[in-house]
Parts: sequence; structure tokens; C-alpha cells
Amino acid sequence: MQTPNKRMLKIGVKYCGGCNPLYDRVAAVKELEQKLQGKAVFVAAGTEEVDLILAVEGCSTACADLSPFQGISIQMILTAEDVRKALEHIIETVRNRPCIG
Amino acid sequence: MAMMTADQYEESLRQLKLVVHMFGKRVKNVVDDPIIRPSMKAVAKTYELAQYPEHEDLMTATSHITGKKINRFTHIHQSLNDLVKKSKMGRLLGRETGCCFQRCVGMDALNALSIVTFNIDQKHGTKYYERFKTYLAYVQENDLTCDGAMTDPKGDRSLPPHKQSDPDQYVHVVEERKDGIIVRGAKAHQTGAVNSHEVIVMPTIAMREQDRDYAVSFAMPSDADGIIYIMGRQSCDTRKLEGTTIDMGNVLFGGHEALVIFDNVFVPWDRVFMYKEYEFAGELVENFAAYHRQSYACKVGVGDILIGATQTVAEYNGVANASHVKDKIVEMNHLNETLYCGCIACASEGHREPSGTYNVNVLLANIHKQNVTRFPYEIARLAQDLAGGLVVTMPSEEDLRSPETGKWLEKYLKANSNIPTENRMRILRLIENLTLGTAAVGYLTESMHGAGSPQAQRIMIARKMNMAEKQRAAKRLCGIADPQ
Repeated sequence: MQTPNKRMLKIGVKYCGGCNPLYDRVAAVKELEQKLQGKAVFVAAGTEEVDLILAVEGCSTACADLSPFQGISIQMILTAEDVRKALEHIIETVRNRPCIG
Repeated sequence: MAMMTADQYEESLRQLKLVVHMFGKRVKNVVDDPIIRPSMKAVAKTYELAQYPEHEDLMTATSHITGKKINRFTHIHQSLNDLVKKSKMGRLLGRETGCCFQRCVGMDALNALSIVTFNIDQKHGTKYYERFKTYLAYVQENDLTCDGAMTDPKGDRSLPPHKQSDPDQYVHVVEERKDGIIVRGAKAHQTGAVNSHEVIVMPTIAMREQDRDYAVSFAMPSDADGIIYIMGRQSCDTRKLEGTTIDMGNVLFGGHEALVIFDNVFVPWDRVFMYKEYEFAGELVENFAAYHRQSYACKVGVGDILIGATQTVAEYNGVANASHVKDKIVEMNHLNETLYCGCIACASEGHREPSGTYNVNVLLANIHKQNVTRFPYEIARLAQDLAGGLVVTMPSEEDLRSPETGKWLEKYLKANSNIPTENRMRILRLIENLTLGTAAVGYLTESMHGAGSPQAQRIMIARKMNMAEKQRAAKRLCGIADPQ
């Protein structure tokens, strides 16, 4: 039987502008990238055919412009604690994705 | 052309042939001059941050002319969201640089002109708006830094421009030619002038018909023939020449201001945006002033730095847990975030102008700026309170490094034994820099006078406060049946 293939999850990263962030947003994304190695690839939010938008908001105002991403699933991070929840959700998404081939 | 990087911006300045004077001498290399370079690095930050995904949302926008991604400093605000992001961008850059990063004046001039050129055309059937849009497209395409030049020297303030004993106290037209105009005069307090690619000149007061020769607005390359810059001094400026870093306080960035002379400068017609339409001079001033008063969002970011430095020195001194120290830190934050409230409020309550440009709420912009004329002084006072007297009596870095005196400074300037003495000195110098050094020029006195002195805001507040509605509401509640 052929081993099923899964294309890696393509995650588009959209940051807010960082006027007064409550946590290190770049470090948070790097942490997720590291923990999702082999399962997901992180690209700029405007890249074509992303599977998920990771909205990295520095605070609860969450002012990043997400209007270009209508119709795409969005995972919000508003605090450092949200990184763990985002990781769990993304792993679940990867697990539930249909196989290719 | 894509947005410039910081290195490309620096290189672009090297191509300019500016005539700059400082301390009685012509400055041969403006970009590398040790007194000027920190200010160039501050402007360069506006280019650098625009390249980072984590700041793109604030630092960039989509041009309404070309649809391309541009630096927000060249953007004409197309929504309330744009206005809010402008405020947030100011805070971000204030915190990244700890000083005046100089590029906001040009952005505010562009936005004011986008409104007024349209309105002049509506009344007079002129073509200023199209001319302005062509110029704007050039600025956006080349990602230029513009100096917004408004403040004339003004001479005798009791007299209008045309009655001054020296007619050059306000920039004015001295000759009209087929291909353009010749202007003469000066603009004072020009922030970032020698870090700019372009100078955008606007009148500084409302005018009457007798002042029509003074009702002129135009843009010229900053190195146009006849433009001369004389650098302003700043408190503690020559520390940048000492070859040390601790005593500079802010080792990375700074601001500058210059007196800009227009010595019979030729301006071609395609760069003239107002010419003798004197009845619009006041409108241009008010629109620019409203935008620029909003721009003092930057002081919130600088306040963040001062508060962070104050908390740090309190920890180094071992007093951070004292209740009065904690309360003073809270007060500093209260004042700083109140300033933030103001710049967000005037943006959020903005409106659309007939040209399509979004403008701030003028009353709230003036309220915000009025607070900016006061609160940084109190924040600075509290910073000096908590820093202690050493902030103004501390020996120099050279004494720290000297084999003869260094050991005494290491011994007697150490507070918390876990903190290197040098670090305590560094944070104290930063507080000094912000409260009475080179950065105090921007954080304090420019907060007082930039975008109009305190009385200017009080005049606008008096004009814009909705007194009739307040009185109606009060009378209704106490049963006054007053038809008026």
C-alpha cells in the first residue's frame, strides 16, 4: 500500500505593527516555527495558497489589517500564552488534513 | 522603484549637494558629520522598519494613486484606520529611537496640500491638485523624505508680512517669470532639514489681500540653488565630538533643527501648489497644524523610553519597591498614556475631506497637543526626581576609564552590587539626555512649541469647542426655558 503524503501546512504570518507589544512577537513566531518543523512552513501573509493565517497581535486591540484574508482560516495570537494554544490548534489542523495521493 | 532600505536612504543623501553651515564652517560631509549623523540614523529607522514584516502593518500603506506598497510617510490618509496607524507608527518610532525622527513634518505637509490644492481648484478653477498629485507620485515612487517648512522667522509679530521693515521675514515671491517664480525668505526650526530630499514650503499664518505675495506654497529639492542651511545648536551637542559613548546618553540616535535660507530660489511652476490665493493660506496652516499636532504621538514613544529608564534606575538604586517610587512610576505612565489617548482619539474621530483625504478631528488634535506641551515636562520632572541628583553631577566617561579616577567611580557610583557601575552611569546619562540634553530639545521644548505654541492650541480649542450645545444641555437640565 502506498504511504499517504501530506503537503506541509502553509502558514501565512501577519503581524500587527508592534506599536506597543506586550510580548516578543518575533520570538513567538520563531518558537512556533521550531516546534512545527516538518509539519508546517511559515511564509509571508500575502503568499499565494496559504492554508492558515497566523495573526500575531501585540495586544488585545488586535489592529493588524486582516481584511485581505477573508475566507482563510485565521489563528490569532494576542498574548505569549496564546502561543501554546496556537501550537495545539495547528497540530490538530495538520493531523486532520486530508492526505495527498 | 521599491521602498528604500536604510542603507539606500543613507546613500541617497550622499548624492545631495547641500550647503550646510555649523559652528561657523561649511560642513563638507553632512552624512558622516558626528553631530548630524545620529539624526540621519533616526530618519533611516523609518526606512528600516518598513522592511520588517513585524512592523509592515504600521510602516507601510497602499498608495491610492498607484496601488503599490509605499512607506506610510509618503501616504495620503484614505481612512480613519490610516489616521490611527499614523499615530501608532509615531509611538513605535519614538520608542525605537528615543528622539525626534523628523520625517512626520513632510507627511503632514503632503496631506494638508492634498486637501487644500483640491479646494483651491474648486474655487478658482486652477490645476494645483493635479500638479500636486504628480509631485506626490514622484515622492512615493522614490520613497523620499520631505521637510515640511512652515515657520517663518516672522520679525515683528505685531505686524503682518507686508508691513515688516524687512520684507524677507516671511518667505515671499520676489519675481514672477514665464517658467516659474523666484522666492526669498527663510524658514526657522526646520526639523530634519539636512536629512531630507525635498523641502515643502507653506505659509505660516492666515493672510489678507495685501499679503498675497506671501501666500505661496511649493516644493523644491533640498539641494536646489539658493537654499542654505545653518544648523541649530542643541543642549550637550558637542558631546557627540568627544569620542566616547556613555556621556551621549542615547548612543544611537538624535534629532536636529536648522534655519533654512531661501536666497532667491527659482521654483518652476510645476512645483508651485499655491500662488497668491491668500484666502487659502489660513486653511493650509490649520490643516497642516491639525495633522502635525496629531503627530506628537511620537512623544508617547519617547515617554516609554524615559519611563523604562526611570524604572531601571530605580531598580539599580534599590528603591523600586518604595511605595512613593511605584506611585510616581504609575503617574508617569498615566500621563504618557493620556497623551496616547489624545492621538488615538483625534485619529478615530477624523473625517473625510472633499478631496478624499481623511483628516483628524481638529478639536481633539489640539487637545492632544495642548497636553503634549505640559505632560512631558512633568514626566521629565518625575524622572529626575527618581534618578536622583547624580543625573546632573556625575563625572565623565573619561574619568570612569582613567586609571587614576576610575577605581573611585567604580567604588562610589555603584549602587546595587549586582549591577555594573557603568550600566548605572549609562541609564543616568539617558535620563539626562532626554530631560536636559540633546533629546530634551525634541521631548520638551519642541513639545512646547512644535506644531504651534500652547496659545495656538487654545485659540483652536476656543474656536472648536461646541459651547452652544453645552449651554443648551445645561439649561435644559435646570429648567431654563431659554429660546436662545
